[in-house]
Amino acid sequence: MADLQDEADVATAGIGAPDRPTRKRGSQDEVVAPGDTLDPDVRARIHALLRAHPVADGYNTLAQVLVNTPWHDVELGESSLDTDIPRLRHGGVGAQFWSLMVAADCPDPVSATLERVDRLRTLVDACPEGLRLAQAVGDLADARNHGRIASLFGPVAAHALGDSLGTVRAYHALGVRAVALTATASWTRAGLTRFGQEVVRELNRLGMVIDLSGAAPETVRQTLGAAKAPLIFTRSAARALTDHPLNVTDEVVGGLPENGGVCLVSFSPAQVARAGRAASVQDVADHVEHLRGVLGPDHIGLSGGYGLTAGAPRTVGLEDASCYPVLLAELIGRGWDDTELAALTWGNFARVIRDVDFAARAAQPRRGPSTATIEDLDPA
Amino acid sequence: MSTVDHLARARTLLAQHPVVDGHNDLPWALRKQVRYDLARRDVGQDQTGHLHTDIPRLRAGGVGAQFWSVYVRTDLAGDEAVSATLEQIDCVDQLIARYPGDLAAALTADGMEKARAAGRIASLKGAEGGHSINNSLATLRALYALGVRYMTLTHNDNTAWADSATDAPGVGGLSPFGHEVVREMNRLGMLVDLSHVAATTMRDAVSTSTAPVIFSHSSARAVCDHPRNVPDDVLALLPSNGGVAMVTFVPKFILPAAVEWTAAADENLRVHGLHALDTSPEAMALHAAFEAAHPRPVATVVTVADHLDHMRAVAGIDHVGIGGDYDGTAFTPSGLDDVSGYPNLIAELLSRGWSEGDVAKLTWGNAVRVLRDAEAVGREERSRRGPSNATRESLDG
Repeated sequence: MADLQDEADVATAGIGAPDRPTRKRGSQDEVVAPGDTLDPDVRARIHALLRAHPVADGYNTLAQVLVNTPWHDVELGESSLDTDIPRLRHGGVGAQFWSLMVAADCPDPVSATLERVDRLRTLVDACPEGLRLAQAVGDLADARNHGRIASLFGPVAAHALGDSLGTVRAYHALGVRAVALTATASWTRAGLTRFGQEVVRELNRLGMVIDLSGAAPETVRQTLGAAKAPLIFTRSAARALTDHPLNVTDEVVGGLPENGGVCLVSFSPAQVARAGRAASVQDVADHVEHLRGVLGPDHIGLSGGYGLTAGAPRTVGLEDASCYPVLLAELIGRGWDDTELAALTWGNFARVIRDVDFAARAAQPRRGPSTATIEDLDPA
Repeated sequence: MSTVDHLARARTLLAQHPVVDGHNDLPWALRKQVRYDLARRDVGQDQTGHLHTDIPRLRAGGVGAQFWSVYVRTDLAGDEAVSATLEQIDCVDQLIARYPGDLAAALTADGMEKARAAGRIASLKGAEGGHSINNSLATLRALYALGVRYMTLTHNDNTAWADSATDAPGVGGLSPFGHEVVREMNRLGMLVDLSHVAATTMRDAVSTSTAPVIFSHSSARAVCDHPRNVPDDVLALLPSNGGVAMVTFVPKFILPAAVEWTAAADENLRVHGLHALDTSPEAMALHAAFEAAHPRPVATVVTVADHLDHMRAVAGIDHVGIGGDYDGTAFTPSGLDDVSGYPNLIAELLSRGWSEGDVAKLTWGNAVRVLRDAEAVGREERSRRGPSNATRESLDG
């Protein structure tokens, strides 16, 4: 029903102009992928690394684009998007959290979130050779071993939970595996209310990952205290280098190693740019190294922030979902060894998913579904 | 043959051909009474006095499959209706998880057969009112993914795209988006339920639907002239459509004298500031007081059997079923007081000369066939078209 859509907000080539050709190896007008210009030895090393330890990425907003323009051919490639399966494969991506976030002022956040879930379910169904729904830690390795990109649904915004644990469980039943405690709900705005604490317990019981990117500092602190499972920042860089609301101060994120969680470092230009110059891959590497210094090598990962249309601002060198090898090459140039890189791309992320799963299995025999309501716990 | 013999025969028959009931509001009752705290209202035990429905009485009533309604009130709109519907769905899932020896989730006709073979009550979900999807086909698909297998197009109020039987005419049946909702339900294999909708909506939906439709809880308008019942011309469409009209027991819809009495009783609630559908202890006390002053006309199994005889005469034996609406109605007929009463109705039908084969179609066969046929239509349609991304804005302007 593509012809019923009238909200084509994608930048496309002028009418009559040919679309940018998809990459064809050996063809005359071959488009060079960013990773292809790397030193052959480095490239070979990165490819070998990514085969065993592909990138597990924390944040991609393709679902939102597909709500407005569902006709994109994600399977074969789309020059009007920065994400498609050929580019994800080129980038060495083996797992992806597909964001379900809706704007804070969205009038019907639950329905809008269900729309995104619907687009993702349709996308995964339509690309069985590229994508595989991942709902538990076993699915991650399973997808990788089958050469598929493990697709995790989430995070859902805090204000899209309808202040209802039944709704949280419905999301879980639909395959959603992460919830962001953004400061957009009454129970996350400044720390966790009693209902907020119950949400954290229920998410832990269900085995849903808790995302603290965009959470208020007091909420981060209290969640670190309340959570029985590791936590994730799905898209944060270092506030010490770039002042951006989604970035984390060294102090706020300091409790993460003890919790066992992971901070997935954003590539988003607004979050990594410094002192008025355009953001580049070096800036991202600086953020990664800063957070490695604060948290240690076992608590950092990657978050491309892709899933945007072609006109969106970009970090130079990391323009689309095929560019992860460029960042890895930069880190190799800075002396990172393969063990550290493997933890960064796959290992830390997979460990958190496994630990969240494990905590849920431990909790479920002891706790039934919570029937608490916000009216009871947070009386006005 | 004596009444006792008919009852014994009815029980024997129901053991083989249990009741598929089209509509039960237990989830809403649990929401209102104990806010889904299933430990505080253990339906594994007898809950007479609190509920029409519990597992011992479902067993006694010969129920083999139940469409649990995930109804939410129409004064909830937008996201609130969607979120409340998700809570209702969660409630049914928790019931199924809590009583695995008695309830089994069923998503298909095969699932219903399998549950029956395993001695479980097949548990299906039905949404009651298009307000539950907030004008979004993606939300409709989310409900399907969560196990909802029918949706009543409206409840007591119109939606923006479909007219209700108990509201002023709006779009005059189905709007263009309403037709698209029906087509998408066909594609999914979700049954289109025409209880509660206006006759215009019934006719529009039957003409658009490529799959059999159901009336999950409606009786015959020719027997009792109430808008919630199905007119004869629509019943006559069922043989060619293949659908099924599931007779409901709600006295205020099936007994002419009760229609009038109910209008007065509802007015009594309204002057006390309560909603006519309120089943809180306060509302029930008001009802009891009103009833003491104004004796309530009592429907019986005879009343329900009269409707079934008529529906059978007009639509045919292959197009009738049962949808009691237990825990969704304040009053129930004598002899059908709660979910243990179905054998009394079957005994009455046997005494009227219904054959055992007729009864088997009424209780089990027709409803299972309809779901199976809707699944087949869905499979066929999904091979030809993908999910509809139409919006109400784009179709209804």
